[in-house]
Amino acid sequence: MPILLFRVDERLIHGQVVIGWGKQLQPDRYVVVDDELANSEWEQELYRLAAADATDVGFCSVADARERIASWRAGEARTVVLTRDLESMLGLAREHAMEGESVNLGGIHHTEGRRRVRPYLYLSAEDRERVRALAEEGVTVSGRDLPGSLGVGLDNLIED
Amino acid sequence: MTLLGASLLGGALALDSTSVAQLMLSRPLAAGFLSGWLSGDLRAGFLAGVILEIYLLVAFPVGGARFPEGATATVVAAATAATHPGPGPLALAVGFGLVWGQLGGWSISGLRNLNIRVVPDPMHSELRPRRVAGGHLLALLLDFVRGALVTGTGVWLADLVVAHLNGRWPLGQPDTVGLFLVGAAVSAGILLQSFGGFRRRRTLFLVGLAGGALGGLLL
Amino acid sequence: MSAVTSSARASAFLRSFTIQGSWNYRTMLGGGFAFALLPVLRQVFRGPQLTEALRRHTEHFNAHPYLAGLALGAAAKLEADGCDPELVRRFKTAIKGPLGGLGDALVWAAWLPATALLGLIAHFSGAPPWLCVLVFLLPYNLGHLALRLWGFRTGLRWGHEVGRVLREAALGRRTETVSRAGALLLGVFAGLVCTVGPAASAAGLRGGASEALWLVLAVGAFVVGLVGGVRVWRPAAVVVVGAVVSILTVAAR
Repeated sequence: MPILLFRVDERLIHGQVVIGWGKQLQPDRYVVVDDELANSEWEQELYRLAAADATDVGFCSVADARERIASWRAGEARTVVLTRDLESMLGLAREHAMEGESVNLGGIHHTEGRRRVRPYLYLSAEDRERVRALAEEGVTVSGRDLPGSLGVGLDNLIED
Repeated sequence: MTLLGASLLGGALALDSTSVAQLMLSRPLAAGFLSGWLSGDLRAGFLAGVILEIYLLVAFPVGGARFPEGATATVVAAATAATHPGPGPLALAVGFGLVWGQLGGWSISGLRNLNIRVVPDPMHSELRPRRVAGGHLLALLLDFVRGALVTGTGVWLADLVVAHLNGRWPLGQPDTVGLFLVGAAVSAGILLQSFGGFRRRRTLFLVGLAGGALGGLLL
Repeated sequence: MSAVTSSARASAFLRSFTIQGSWNYRTMLGGGFAFALLPVLRQVFRGPQLTEALRRHTEHFNAHPYLAGLALGAAAKLEADGCDPELVRRFKTAIKGPLGGLGDALVWAAWLPATALLGLIAHFSGAPPWLCVLVFLLPYNLGHLALRLWGFRTGLRWGHEVGRVLREAALGRRTETVSRAGALLLGVFAGLVCTVGPAASAAGLRGGASEALWLVLAVGAFVVGLVGGVRVWRPAAVVVVGAVVSILTVAAR
């Protein structure tokens, strides 16, 4: 089973993902790839509460995810992979580990130094650098909050 | 109830629906009761509230304003129904209330855009307690004023419209009620779906239906 | 928590009743959250530290208003305990999703319509208006206030570890129970409407002016609502208002 969706969203599992994408993709599990969260039990507990009851939620570090990504692709479970920043997604994609996959940028909020691309998407110069690097790893990157909404292509994401 | 009274009531109930406490005095059932009572015809006002409550059973106060604002819609409809007796004016008042409540919904969206500038910007370098408290309290005041203005203009306009159209309503009471019934049935269907859908709730719903019908026939 | 007086905590709880008061499209509940937490923050921080604390609490936040107190209580504990600001931020980010989703399903989609149906059933059973309002508002608000109080106290007690308590509270199962009760009440309500009062005679179900047309239309409308769900609400409202207008126009000729 190919992985249904790779998404970068600071909010990880929340309404847009569970209702917006979940209704359409019908995932069996969410895998959150994040070094900090992989060791933070209280945070895992909270994110699990946000998922629908029947959906499994797993957490793993970037290094673990790189080892297991092939088995997720081979397995039966319908999988959605989430990270809360571009850094973790890039770590996962290094050395063409995600060649041919698409990554969806669904929520990066406004902080100092970040510029608005869409209301749900703010990128800094470093973020744009990471988007470029993802593209160089053979990944198709686009911005989109919900399945039905109009996306933002790579060119618009990385233009200065 | 004077126009000023209706406006103040509308402003207060508009606050209850999202900004303050949410005790649901703003729901049509309670708002219709209050407006009817203050307008001097409790029964007519309450009846308008009952009809709007059925219509707005599924209009949950969540997120953006996809539904008419129940509080202002009800005060407008109930105050109008209380001043103009009869099935025709009631139908007109409820219809007008729904339309006006939609304007109320849009005005909420407008205020939420304006509030972006009213609340403190987290990025601002000088963030003082006074600014935080002041911004919040100003937003509360604005919401009250908004509710009062929407209600006041609605009651004033509805009175003119209904007075003008009163007597031209061609349907008798049974057909007017039939029209209400059709609207209520849509709401009931949506609500059953929201409670889990017909397949999952069939038994409970049908048992209730039989019980309610039996109770009704015995009453 | 020693630095914070109980009156500051009480004040934060009372202020939480206005947490949606400055709802806006940028920070949503951010302004209200900081306003509610202010009495606590004032006792813990001074000067530039207070500014920084206000900054992290005016940031974007969203939750169901009745459950937002859980995050507020937890934030009060974390700040009073001198926790790392980054932990506070991460906690608030993680709790948004569950508090919104669980609260909307339990309160807006189940508890509110179920208790409103109690009031409507009372009306169609012939109860006086004041009693109808009472049988709606009294149970509704008992549940409402209990939820607010439980949330705030749970947050104050467990801080960032509220997840476990929230899971054990099994709000999802409670939502299921209330929805089942709601379906039963909806049945009772529909049964009553069809057998008593003007609606029953309009539909020709109980003597009076028999008009099978209205009954057929009502059953059709019910099915449309049941199949289409909430997205047919707006078109249906437009049809009803449109019907009123066209009846008037035809009559005017």
